[in-house]
Amino acid sequence: MDNQTPAAELVDIWKRFPGVIANAGANLMVRPGSVHAVLGENGAGKTTLMNVLAGVYQPDEGTVSLAGQQMSFTKPAQAIKAGVVMVHQEFRLIPTFTVAENVALAGSPSIIAKRSIEDSVAELADRFGLATDPSREVWRLSMGERQRVEILKALWQDAKVLILDEPTAVLTPSEATELGRVVTAMANDGRAIIFISHKLDEVTEFCDEATVLRGGATVASSLPVEELDAARLAELMVGEATEVSVRRTRTSPVAEPVLEVRNAAVRDLHGIATVADVSLTVGKGEIVGIAGVAGNGQRPLADAIAGLESLESGTISLGGSSIEGATPKARNAAGLAYVPEDRLGVGLAPRLNVVENAMMRSYRSMTKGPFIDRSATQTMCEDLAAEYKVKVGKFDAPIGALSGGNLQRLLVGRELADDPKVLVAAQPTRGLDVQGVAAIQQIIVEQSQAGLGVLLISEDLEELLALSDRLLVMHEGEIVAEFDPDTTSRAEVGAAMAGAH
Amino acid sequence: MNEETLIGLFLSVIEFGTLLYLAALGELIAEKSGVLNLGVEGMMAMGGVAAFWVGVETGNPWLALLVAIMVGALFASIHGLVAVVLGADQVVSGLALTILGVGVSAFLGKDYVSQAPGARFEALNLGPLNDIPWIGEFIFGQSIIPWLALALGIITWFVLTRTRIGLVLRAVGESASAADSAGSPVVLTRLIAVAIGGALAGMSGAYLTMSLAPGWSEGTTAGRGWIALALVIFGAWKPGRVGVGALLFGGLLALEPRLQTFGVEISPILLSMLPYVLTIAAMIALSIRSRNRPSAAPAALGSTYRREER
Amino acid sequence: MFGFRLQKRETPLPGGQIRAFIVGLLVALLIGALLLLMVDQNPLDIYAKMFSAAFGSSQGISTTLTRAVPLGLAGLAVAVAGSMGLWNIGAEGQIIAGAMGAAWVARLGPDLAGPALIPLMLFAAAIFGGLLAFGPAIARAQLGVNEIITTLMLNEIALRAVRYLVNGPWKDPDSFNFPQAPALPEQSVLPTLFDRASIAVLIAAAVLLVFGVYASRSAWGYELRVAGSSESAAKYAGISLKKKIFTVLVLSGTIAGLGGGLVLMGSSSSPSRLVEGVANGWGFAGIIVAALALMRPSGVAAVAVAFGAVQVGGLRIQTLGVPASVANTLQALILFGALAAAVFTNYKLTRRSAAQAVTA
Repeated sequence: MDNQTPAAELVDIWKRFPGVIANAGANLMVRPGSVHAVLGENGAGKTTLMNVLAGVYQPDEGTVSLAGQQMSFTKPAQAIKAGVVMVHQEFRLIPTFTVAENVALAGSPSIIAKRSIEDSVAELADRFGLATDPSREVWRLSMGERQRVEILKALWQDAKVLILDEPTAVLTPSEATELGRVVTAMANDGRAIIFISHKLDEVTEFCDEATVLRGGATVASSLPVEELDAARLAELMVGEATEVSVRRTRTSPVAEPVLEVRNAAVRDLHGIATVADVSLTVGKGEIVGIAGVAGNGQRPLADAIAGLESLESGTISLGGSSIEGATPKARNAAGLAYVPEDRLGVGLAPRLNVVENAMMRSYRSMTKGPFIDRSATQTMCEDLAAEYKVKVGKFDAPIGALSGGNLQRLLVGRELADDPKVLVAAQPTRGLDVQGVAAIQQIIVEQSQAGLGVLLISEDLEELLALSDRLLVMHEGEIVAEFDPDTTSRAEVGAAMAGAH
Repeated sequence: MNEETLIGLFLSVIEFGTLLYLAALGELIAEKSGVLNLGVEGMMAMGGVAAFWVGVETGNPWLALLVAIMVGALFASIHGLVAVVLGADQVVSGLALTILGVGVSAFLGKDYVSQAPGARFEALNLGPLNDIPWIGEFIFGQSIIPWLALALGIITWFVLTRTRIGLVLRAVGESASAADSAGSPVVLTRLIAVAIGGALAGMSGAYLTMSLAPGWSEGTTAGRGWIALALVIFGAWKPGRVGVGALLFGGLLALEPRLQTFGVEISPILLSMLPYVLTIAAMIALSIRSRNRPSAAPAALGSTYRREER
Repeated sequence: MFGFRLQKRETPLPGGQIRAFIVGLLVALLIGALLLLMVDQNPLDIYAKMFSAAFGSSQGISTTLTRAVPLGLAGLAVAVAGSMGLWNIGAEGQIIAGAMGAAWVARLGPDLAGPALIPLMLFAAAIFGGLLAFGPAIARAQLGVNEIITTLMLNEIALRAVRYLVNGPWKDPDSFNFPQAPALPEQSVLPTLFDRASIAVLIAAAVLLVFGVYASRSAWGYELRVAGSSESAAKYAGISLKKKIFTVLVLSGTIAGLGGGLVLMGSSSSPSRLVEGVANGWGFAGIIVAALALMRPSGVAAVAVAFGAVQVGGLRIQTLGVPASVANTLQALILFGALAAAVFTNYKLTRRSAAQAVTA
């Protein structure tokens, strides 16, 4: 194969889902032997486009070619056979299977000799520097190890085009560096690697070229990564200068703490420590930001504060009274509002209607005898929708019919309705469009100026730098650094997020 | 208690064990692919009536067995169509299959009630082997079906653990999306597994009406399908353990009518509760054991898979 | 596969469930007709006779309603658990347990209780049904043990318990060796409403109504729906899942148990007595009823009456030489038809676009 024929080429891809156009004329051209970054904001259509290439979705319009030949995949099996393998963000591994069994699932002889498969898997792993034990069951492995198994599966299928969907999101920095080496080794082996990301530093470090998507369409294709810098990339991705529209007017430091977490530790189901010895304080009217790579303990910390997860040790106090033993209900009643990372499924109940979701916090006080006062809840929900500009078609339609921005406005509005003392907001603007982001940020800033203490957990560094009074960085379950957003830089915070202290 | 009654008991243990094992093995295969089929009782009844009918009409036990297997597989495929392809709830669909099977078999078998069977599997004649004291009678004194069941159990174990087909089947039952993205055909695999499950249940029904309790009457399956379901859980979805369980539960069924002969004062009816009680106990034990590790049940059991869900 | 695939509709078809039920009914009648032709019967004639048996006379209607009582309560029991995403497959056993409970109170002393006998018996029926669900409830809430299988196992255990009682300790000495308990005392039989229907019909209707309203309007019912929609959301909203799972399953058993009491005390056959077949498959049919009613109490009542009619029709044609099992067969067929039809209210069948061959 000569280097001029693209390993994979997607031309003018359109893909519509009910209510959403995920791809609107997207293009991508990937050369063999190269690492190609696909960049874009959440919702830019990266994952959909990759699913089209991998045969998971069929495009409504457009063509897919591999090594110059046009393809029409109707299922992943065909794409895999043609040499396109995707490593999804959520791993598609079978926890009760061993590493070797998971790999063998991707292709094996009819009769499976356990030992020989394990040997071949080990051999392949060695060739690309993927340290793993083929006889171990996957549920016992760390996230980084599981990713290596996914990559092994792809190599086992002799993938010519390997798609990695935000592969570093679940990795520790050292694991990410390791991944970089593996990716380079695979490219040197003549394979084309598609590396989906939204982190500039990784892209410049690992990749050769980059394609940028925005709003489902390609806005820049096959740019050499040397030509990319933060400003240019942000401009391409967002379509305008990356000025965060909402900015906080910082007040003088506030004395009165409303949320105090002391030496908090959390373990997951398998007994692995996810939060280790975290202490933090949020003052009245203060916004405290928490930055960190996904999976470094932000979610369990937020859940533990809200009472959805239990603390192994440590204390939490809200407005001076200890709440670590209290139920989620009691914590909410005591003035704790929580906007969880999973809006639909945790913060909102998908099958219930808009009113039923709006009353999730307040239904207990809106009753006549054992019955819920339906006119009162209806009025409450309409007021809420009006105040927070939630566009609702039908109030008795399932909540899932609302768009992401409207969902979040409803959720945030509901949480703030009772004049809480503290708001814990986890990824409150993730996946929202530009107006949606601005609206949520506006609400957070206004409320904090009115005295609300906010713990803002985000992966969006710009947002954190613009909104926070103080910025904490979480890494491997610990708070590893604290910055003053006015005096620090992206680079400085980024280094702390990567674990360099 | 004399030697004869003891040998009778052993023979009966193997007979009941075979009946349960065939049906349970089928259910195991379906469940391993992620499909819960509560229709075992109905599939057994359909197999039973089909075998009895063909037996009476042709006198050929092998043909009767073959038809029962096919009827079982086809009948199970209703569940496959409704629950796997169309994605309706597996619990409801499976129960409806039981009600349908019991109903239709009664309907079709109306004219055969209390008729003599036209065909049955005789005890094997292995010459000198049959003359070995004890063993000759209760090991080699069986018909071919228990041996067939044993062979099927070993084949199932081998296929599940040592072949690609088994690997795919288990993968589909553990995580349909993982299997799908590895290129395994989820729906097809499940359909085939459900059909095989029905085939084995049909075979079990045929064994019931042709050998174990020759004859046909409405409700002849008498809840054995539920025991087979219980057995799969009791045996933690492992063909070998399910086999041991089949002998244990089969033993209880065989003991039931003999308790008084043995001079035991407990009501045989209370004894007949034991398989269910043991299964509940096993479930609790399994759940306690799996506190810090994945459960023994196939993870995708009971769930529908549709790829383009968004 | 097969060149077709199911594609989700942007909005579900309006009135989909009623349409699905009608389609299911038509499919069932069609397949039923084929079966009837196989045994040389005129399907139209049989169906007409079934219909008139169920609805053609006051006697027919009263029998239909009487049969709808256990179907409705079993259906409600399943629906209550189902609205939280739990499966109570044990209604059959709980009906048996309820009947045993009622019979037990009657044995204890008809003279002792006097006018309170009927309420006491019904109370015991409910308690016994709840007790049978207690184990699965606690195992599911505390250990996460699958309630489908435990409740299923308890059906068989309850069946053997009643078999034991009517063959042994509770066997009627005057029954000429029939396995049955003695007839209930006169004062424990529910008063007649009209023809063959007792006030059991009113009690069941009241229970369905109260639960229908309570489940849809109360804070309790709301919490149930939140938990049924998403366990995480329920936890977030401060709803105790374990407590909810436990109470819902026990309550479900209680409702089915009450159904068992009503069957025993209000049946059209006289005299009323406990027999092995007291549950008569109603618990299983109740699961189909609940599924067809999409777990809604109002729908449960309607489907229960429809199924009651099918059963009465089935009994009628038995006298014409058609096996009564045709009734059960029709019920299962209606469900299969409706299940298949229901899929198409949310999905549509589309042909695969661009069936170009894969060149690789």
